[in-house]
Amino acid sequence: MKILVPFKSVPDPNDATFAGEAASASKSVINPFDEIAIEEALRIRERGEATEIVGVTIGAPSVDEQIRAALAMGVDRAIRIDDARALDPYAVARILRAVVEKEAPHVVIMGKQAVDDDSNQVGQILAGLLGWPQATFVSSIEFLDNKTRARCTRETDAGLEVVELDLPAIITTDLRLNEPRYVSLPGLIRARRKPIEVLTCDQVGVNVRPLTTVLAVARPPKRPAGTRVESVEELITKLKQEAKVI
Amino acid sequence: MAESLVLIEHDRQQVKRSSLHAITLAQQLGGEYELLVIGHVVNKISSSLVSLGATSVIVADDPALAEPLADRYATVIAEAVRKSGAKNILGTSSTFSKDILPRAAALLDAPMVTDVVAIEQMDGSISYRRPINAGSMFAKVKVEGERRVLTVRAAAFETPAANAAPCPIVRFDVDAESLPNGMRFISREERKSDRPDLTEARVVVSGGRPLKDKETFERLVGGLADALGGAIGATRAAVDAGMAPNDYQIGQTGKVVAPELYIALGISGAIQHLAGIKDSRIIVAINKDPDAPICQTATYFLVGDLYQIVPQLIESIRRA
Amino acid sequence: MDFAWSDQQRELLNAVGRFASQQLNYDVIENDREGIFNHEAWKKCGDFGIQGLLVPTDYGGLGTTVAALERLGYACRDNGLLFSINAHMWTAIIPLVYNGSEAQKKKYLPGLCNGTLIGGNAMSEPNSGSDAFSLTTTAIKKGSRYILNGSKIFVTNGPIADLLVVFATVDKTRGTDGISAFLVEKNSPGMNVARKLEKMGLRTSPMAEVFFENCEVPEENLLGKEGGGAFLFTRSMTWERGCILASAVGSMQRLLETCIRYANERKQGGQSIGKYQLVASKIVDMKVRVESSRHMLYYYGWLSGHRKSVYLEAAMTKLHIADCWVKCSEDAIQIHGGYGYMTEYEVERELRDAIASKLYSGTSEIQRNIVASMLGL
Repeated sequence: MKILVPFKSVPDPNDATFAGEAASASKSVINPFDEIAIEEALRIRERGEATEIVGVTIGAPSVDEQIRAALAMGVDRAIRIDDARALDPYAVARILRAVVEKEAPHVVIMGKQAVDDDSNQVGQILAGLLGWPQATFVSSIEFLDNKTRARCTRETDAGLEVVELDLPAIITTDLRLNEPRYVSLPGLIRARRKPIEVLTCDQVGVNVRPLTTVLAVARPPKRPAGTRVESVEELITKLKQEAKVI
Repeated sequence: MAESLVLIEHDRQQVKRSSLHAITLAQQLGGEYELLVIGHVVNKISSSLVSLGATSVIVADDPALAEPLADRYATVIAEAVRKSGAKNILGTSSTFSKDILPRAAALLDAPMVTDVVAIEQMDGSISYRRPINAGSMFAKVKVEGERRVLTVRAAAFETPAANAAPCPIVRFDVDAESLPNGMRFISREERKSDRPDLTEARVVVSGGRPLKDKETFERLVGGLADALGGAIGATRAAVDAGMAPNDYQIGQTGKVVAPELYIALGISGAIQHLAGIKDSRIIVAINKDPDAPICQTATYFLVGDLYQIVPQLIESIRRA
Repeated sequence: MDFAWSDQQRELLNAVGRFASQQLNYDVIENDREGIFNHEAWKKCGDFGIQGLLVPTDYGGLGTTVAALERLGYACRDNGLLFSINAHMWTAIIPLVYNGSEAQKKKYLPGLCNGTLIGGNAMSEPNSGSDAFSLTTTAIKKGSRYILNGSKIFVTNGPIADLLVVFATVDKTRGTDGISAFLVEKNSPGMNVARKLEKMGLRTSPMAEVFFENCEVPEENLLGKEGGGAFLFTRSMTWERGCILASAVGSMQRLLETCIRYANERKQGGQSIGKYQLVASKIVDMKVRVESSRHMLYYYGWLSGHRKSVYLEAAMTKLHIADCWVKCSEDAIQIHGGYGYMTEYEVERELRDAIASKLYSGTSEIQRNIVASMLGL
C-alpha cells in the first residue's frame, strides 16, 4: 500500500516570537498535525501494512529543511511542488489533487489543519475534488479486509464517532492519534540519500490561482492586565460586586 | 432567490443551538436566507426553525442521510445550493460543519473562509475577519468567485431573534441511489450530561494537568462547575493525561468558548489554550505560579494551592 | 581552516538543539535536589543518536561532534545527564573502538552506541586520584579468568552501568607496565557497587564506590593486551580532555544569554542594571570567555583530524574551558543578585556543576603539569 502524506512548513509554534513576526527559515518546522500524519504512516509501515511512504509539500526551496526532516523521520521520498506564492486551501487542494492523480496512493493521510492558518479545509476539499471517502479529526486508524477498507475513530464535539471508508480515501489527523518520533541523527544522515523530486505546477498539470486575498493581519487588542486577589473571599466579592458575574 | 443558505446542525433529537448563530451572519450579509436541515425523521427539528426569519426551511430527509456522512451530506448541500441559487453557504464552526462544508465547497468550486468573527463592507465587496496562529493574530481576507462558503465562530455572532412570522418547510427530494456510498457510519460514543453545553454555557470551569486524575478532576472542576451551574472544560494536557474526555478540550484545536465567566484551575495559559478562551468576559485564574502566562490574561488571579482554594470556593458559593 | 558550517552541519546542529530543548529539560530542579538520574532522557538521547555520535565516520568528523555536544550543552540544562553521557562516550566507547577485539566490539558497541547499554570506567581509588597509575587493584590470572581485588571510587555511572572499564594491575612489580584494562559487566560475581555518592553538583549523574572481592572476569574481557592499560587510559583521556567540556561552552552561551536578558529587564535606580558598567563589564568578560573557549574547542576538533598527537592541546582546552565555566557561573550568580542564589532560577546550580570540571578528567593542576612538561620545563 502506498501512503501519500502532504505536509506544510509552518513557523515553529513553540517559538516565543512565533505569534506574528516574520519567522526566519531556521525557525520553521513541519506542521505538528502533519508530523502526526507522517508518524502514523511510519507506524502503518512498521506493522507491515504499507510499502511506500511519499511526502509532498508546496513551497520555495527554503522548505527543504522540513522535507529533510520528514525524510529523516522515515518518509521514503518526497516531492516539492515549487511554488512560492501565498496560497489558500482552495489552491493547495487543487495542486494536491494533481499530485494524487500522478502518484495514485491508496490512502492520503494529512494533518487536520495547519497551525498558522487554522483553516481546516484542505483534506476535505481534496476528498471532494477526488470524490474519495474522507475521515477527519481521526484518533485511530485500522485497515480491514486486505486493506480495502479503513475503520477510523473521529473526535467530534460530542465525543467519538467510528466510520468506515472504502479505499482510496483521505484521512486527516487529530492530536491524539499518536506522538511523533523525533528526527534521529542517523535518520538525518540517511535522509541525505533519499530523493527529493522538485516539480512545478505545470509539470503536474495544474494551473490554479488562490481565490483568497489577505488584506491585513493584526494583533487583537490585548486584554487589560488583571488584578491579583489574595483570598477566596476577595475573589467572590469582586466577582459579585465588580464583575457582577455571580 | 435567497442570498444565503444556512446549514443547521442537530443531534437527531433537537437543533444544536450554536448552529443558529450563522443566521446572524446571513442577516448581516443582507438579502433573503434559507435554512437547510439534513437527516432522517427531522420533522420536529425543522418545525422549530420556522420563526428565525428565513424564507423557507429546506429539509432533506432520507434514511440514507440518517448519519452525517460527509460525502452524502456535501452532495446534498451542493445540490440544494444550486437549486436555491444562494451565493453564501453558511454554517457555525463545529466538527460537523468543518467536516462537511469544505467538501461541499469543493463540489461548488467555491472558496471557503473558516471561523469568521466579523465582516466589513468595503466599496462593493465584503471582507471577513478571522483568527490565525492560534488566535494570536487576526486576518482580514476577501474572496473571489460567484459563491463562497463561510463558517462563523459562535461566540462572535448573537443568537438570532425567533419572533418572525413562520416560514414554509420545503421538502428537498433526495435521489438516494445517486448518493456516494464509500463511507459507512459504524458507531458513536457521546456522553449525555446534565451540565450545559460547553460552547453555550454562561460559566465554564476548566482544569489543567495539576488536577492529578479523573476523580480529582471531577471532584474539583466538576464540583465548582456544578456550584455555579456551569460547564466543564479541560486543557489538552489534561485530556492527554486521561483526566477528561476529548470533547472537554478547549483551545486552538479544541473548542472555542466565550462565556461570561471562565475559571481556569491549574492552567498555565499556553497560547494554544488561550486561543480558546480569549473572548470570555471575565477570566479567573487559580494557580500556584504567579508568573504563569494566564495571569497576564486573567481579569482576576489568585495565587495558591488549588486543593485548598477550590473546596473553599465551592463552599462559599453554596453558602451565598 | 574554514569556520563556516555547511547546510548539512547546520541542519544536524539544529536537530540536536531542537531535540534537547524539547526532550531533556523535564524536572531538572527536582532531579538535582533529589539526585535522580533521568533514565528516560538517557534513552531518548540513545534513540536520537547522541551516544552514537562518535562511531560512524559520516557525521563530518570530530569537528561536527564537538559542535553537536556544544549545542547539546546549550539546549539541555541537565549538566549531570550530559556528564554521564560524556563519561560513557570517552571512557567506555572510545577504549572499545580503539582497543576492542572484534568480538568485544560486536558484543558491546551497538548497545553502547544506541544507549541500551550504559558504560563507565573505574580508575580512581581512595589512595590514587591524580596519581592514577599508582593504583593497587589487582587482576591475577587463574586459568581462563582474571580475579580482581580492590576498590574504586568516584565511578561515574557506577550505580547504573551495564559495563565498566576497570583498570587493575596484573603485576605490581612491573609498575605502569602492569596496568591493564578489563570489561566488567554489572552483577559480575564479587563485584559490589556500593552506596551512591552524594555530590555538590552534577547531582543527576550517579556515582558510586565499587568494590571487587575475588571478582571473576573471563579472559576474553581483557581489553587490549596485558600491560596496555596505561596507554589506553592516556589515549582515551586525551579525547576526554579535549571534548568533555564541549557542552560547557554551550552552557556558558546559555548563561550569557540569560544574563543579557536579565540585565536588560531588571531595573534598579530607574534604569536597566545592564546600563551600569560594573554589570556590563561582567557580561563582556563572560562573552570573551565563551568565544575563547569555543575557539579552543573547535581548533582542537579540527586539529585531532589533522595531527596525530593533540595531547598538549587537549590539556590546554580542558584547563581553559573549566576555568571559564566556573568564572562565568560565578558572574551569572552575581549579576542575578539574590535571585541568582535561589534554586528556582537555575543559576546557582550551574556553579555547583561547573566546579567539578576543574577536578574530573585530571584536575586543573594536572593539566598545568602536562602543559608545563610539554613546554619543556
